[in-house]
Amino acid sequence: MLPSYYEFYNPVKIISGEKALDNLPYELNRLQVTRPLIITDKGVTDAGLVKTVIRAFAESGIILGGVYDDVPSDSSVTVVNDIAGVFRRNECDGLIAVGGGSPIDTAKAVNILVSEEGDNLFQFAGHDVLRRPLKPLVVIPTTAGTGSEVTYVAVIADPSRKVKMSFTSAYLYPRLAVLDPRMTLSIPPGITAATGMDALSHAMEAVTCLQKNPISDALAMASIDLIGKNLLKVVAHGRDEEARLAMSNAACLAGAAFSNSMVGLVHSLGHAAGGVAGVPHGVAMSIFLPYVFDYNMEKTAPDLARLLLPFGGPEEYANTPPAHRARRTIELIRALRQSLYDLCQLPRTLKEAEVSRDKLEAIARTAINDGSLTFNPVEVTYDDALLLLREAYD
Amino acid sequence: METSCLLVKPGRKRFKSLVVKTVFLILGRSFHAASKLDLDIKKEIETWDEGFKFMMKVFPESPSMIVEKRKGILVYRGSKGGSADLTIIFKSIESAFLVFTAQCGTCRAFAESRVIVSGDISKAMSLVRCLNILQRYLFPLFINRFILKRPPSMPWYKQFIRAYIYLLGVPFGL
Repeated sequence: MLPSYYEFYNPVKIISGEKALDNLPYELNRLQVTRPLIITDKGVTDAGLVKTVIRAFAESGIILGGVYDDVPSDSSVTVVNDIAGVFRRNECDGLIAVGGGSPIDTAKAVNILVSEEGDNLFQFAGHDVLRRPLKPLVVIPTTAGTGSEVTYVAVIADPSRKVKMSFTSAYLYPRLAVLDPRMTLSIPPGITAATGMDALSHAMEAVTCLQKNPISDALAMASIDLIGKNLLKVVAHGRDEEARLAMSNAACLAGAAFSNSMVGLVHSLGHAAGGVAGVPHGVAMSIFLPYVFDYNMEKTAPDLARLLLPFGGPEEYANTPPAHRARRTIELIRALRQSLYDLCQLPRTLKEAEVSRDKLEAIARTAINDGSLTFNPVEVTYDDALLLLREAYD
Repeated sequence: METSCLLVKPGRKRFKSLVVKTVFLILGRSFHAASKLDLDIKKEIETWDEGFKFMMKVFPESPSMIVEKRKGILVYRGSKGGSADLTIIFKSIESAFLVFTAQCGTCRAFAESRVIVSGDISKAMSLVRCLNILQRYLFPLFINRFILKRPPSMPWYKQFIRAYIYLLGVPFGL
């Protein structure tokens, strides 16, 4: 059914496939960037991925404005200010983020400072505060999960105030996303599984939450199809380039879907579990998905039933009576979690994720103040959230 | 010969604008009355800082409604008062009209991007919970079932609060 009104926007050019990275100089030329600054983290550098990026510039005539690889896993305003200084000193004119969520969010925040020519990131926090286009930002994801290469959000911590600041603006969309299978080949199985479940949660919540629309649905269904066919494959055989590229595409499709449809209770609980108990985001998504879908069943059964086709495949869909399809989708999610546990011990419960039981109340309190809850189809009170957390505990 | 092309000045939507202004007045005064009596709203606003101000407005600038927390309760500050800590903006007068005439619930308005929030999102979530409680007082259950995901419970003693809002809160701002 069509919503009575919806909005969809995504201006990111996506280049994907074998040697995609080698077309980067051409794309930068198109964007009139002559001196890009690379922003990444030590893990990416140590895995040799920055060298692969630099090699793509051979014979291009472009001089790189530097490589900043000190981005921590939880990026802060101090790091952003530091990088903005490097950008100005080296007279750079564009940014290349190489990595997962943290380097990408950091690059988006640096872009705010260097484009607005400011030195106080706080003044740009919030929704739609930016008023002009930013400098060109290229994103090369090295994980297949966050979808940040096609989203308009950045989250940066302010350690002095102990808060995380959120920036949302259509101007934060990168200009280009490069999906090259070489960039994700070295991810260990545990992270591959967790980030893959993150992408699955983006796609599945995109289809079942209130801001869904026909375009986000189409992207999310394509993403689920790719994840259903490839996630176990990449966890078991990390060097499978075709499956790696499929997962990168799945994460990208899911990112484009959820940044327009938004996400719901799985993410509210996940953000809260991450903030209060340090549960990695992808792990939290994997834990909460089936419990939340059970909880939302009364309002989302038809959508959950539709998910069975891309997720389980046409035979599974045809062999399941229509009235049982929604329930079957949840069974398959549980089966996937079990397979991932068998392959790489991806936690299935909060207890396995080493969360102490006395933190459940604090997680529930934080979750009901998370913005994603607005888009969950079923109302959630503190008591409801706590009950769900207890179910997901062991 | 030069083609002439005259400037076009769009008209007004006086009726819808009046309805939205009236609802802002009713909402502002209801927030004040309910914050004095309803325990759930009191509990919500306990976490807000003293002097915390929120505003609801229609793009670009008017109509609007400003409410401030003073001495532990919410006080309606009218339609003028500069900036606020949290602002809820309806993208058009038509969007506000849909919501204020109960043709579209607040959660659907958010889901359809008819409304945007500027400020601390966790405070906005708290405000939306207060708004849901308030709507439960202002509208009958059959309308609440249409506009809210799950209408808050309404035990018998809350009928006295409802009567206070209708008889004293909205007409006299008490």
